[in-house]
Amino acid sequence: MALSEEDRAELVAYLDGELDEAATQALEAKVAANAEVRAELEALKQTWGMLDYLPKASPSPSFTNRTMERLTLEMKSPAQTKTAPLPSSGRPWLVGLAWAAAILIAVGGGYGIASYYFPTPPPTDPIPEADLPMIRHLRIAEQWRYYENADDLDFVKKLNHPDLFGEDPS
Amino acid sequence: MTLTGKSSTQLALRDPDIRLMLRVRDDDADAFPELVELYHHRLVTVMHHLVGNAEEAEDLAQEVFLRVYRGRKKYHPKAKFSTWLFTIANNLALNVLRTRQRKPTVPLNVRDSGPLGPRPAEQLVHDRAHQPHDRIQQRELAAVVQQALETLNERQRIAVVLNKFEDMNYADIADVMGLTTKAVKSLLSRARENLRLALKDYIQMDRKADEAEE
Repeated sequence: MALSEEDRAELVAYLDGELDEAATQALEAKVAANAEVRAELEALKQTWGMLDYLPKASPSPSFTNRTMERLTLEMKSPAQTKTAPLPSSGRPWLVGLAWAAAILIAVGGGYGIASYYFPTPPPTDPIPEADLPMIRHLRIAEQWRYYENADDLDFVKKLNHPDLFGEDPS
Repeated sequence: MTLTGKSSTQLALRDPDIRLMLRVRDDDADAFPELVELYHHRLVTVMHHLVGNAEEAEDLAQEVFLRVYRGRKKYHPKAKFSTWLFTIANNLALNVLRTRQRKPTVPLNVRDSGPLGPRPAEQLVHDRAHQPHDRIQQRELAAVVQQALETLNERQRIAVVLNKFEDMNYADIADVMGLTTKAVKSLLSRARENLRLALKDYIQMDRKADEAEE
């Protein structure tokens, strides 16, 4: 039967001396009665003991001096930072003004470039009253050179009739 | 264990480390180097077992002391001084270990890399073709244990190191790590089971080494 997570936690707590008197006695009874629990306890104990193989740390003898030097350096540097704040940090209205100017320049520049490349046509003068009939009969005016040799419109229409000149023999 | 009110004042009067820290708080120039001298060995040891590198451990321990100094004005003795100190160490170590987990910096051998290379957990599995010799060097065994420790997640590792090397009980570990005592019990149980699995092939060897010494 495999141990549950709770059983194992109890074993570990027992090894760490974290169980109260009653829990300790109950667990010891279980260990005495069950070989599997006993083996698990032994394995956990040995595993813990293997951590003693880890190398012992030995800080360098100058550790304290180096720490104090680092602290001294650190105490100097924030002071310098305080005496030289960023120019923008104390004058927020100046930043706003700079942004407004930048936006104005951008909009103005954009308008100028657009005007240069895409100029708007000059406004047209109003059409004089006398020219209005000419505009209305523009088509006739354009074809006038054909009409001026004809006596009347019926003659022109007859010229357009195919029977008048017959089919082209070729 | 966290203390409040009258008991904290009494503790401050009795505990020499708290009195020393109160001198640091009050800008007594001699107090801080004295505090560093008193605690640096323990702090470097803990950091060394957490990060597995002596040089980095010293840098981290220094950083802990600098944080203590920066936060000196906010210090109010509510618990043992060591609990406060190791809480700072815990926060720093957690950051370092989590960053390392995201960006592993352990150099890999060419034959270990690539899709066919073994995973870190598999590297711990004992190679049957090379049975560990009974007289395996202690240094090699130390490397195996360090590797096993590195298979634990950062919280498990911190709990194990504080329990084993600082001899902290569950209540103190809970204070340092900001957990409940029950959570620490569960954390340590899982950590020790993981270590047991990682080291199972070496436990027998350790026993034989002990018998040989006797």
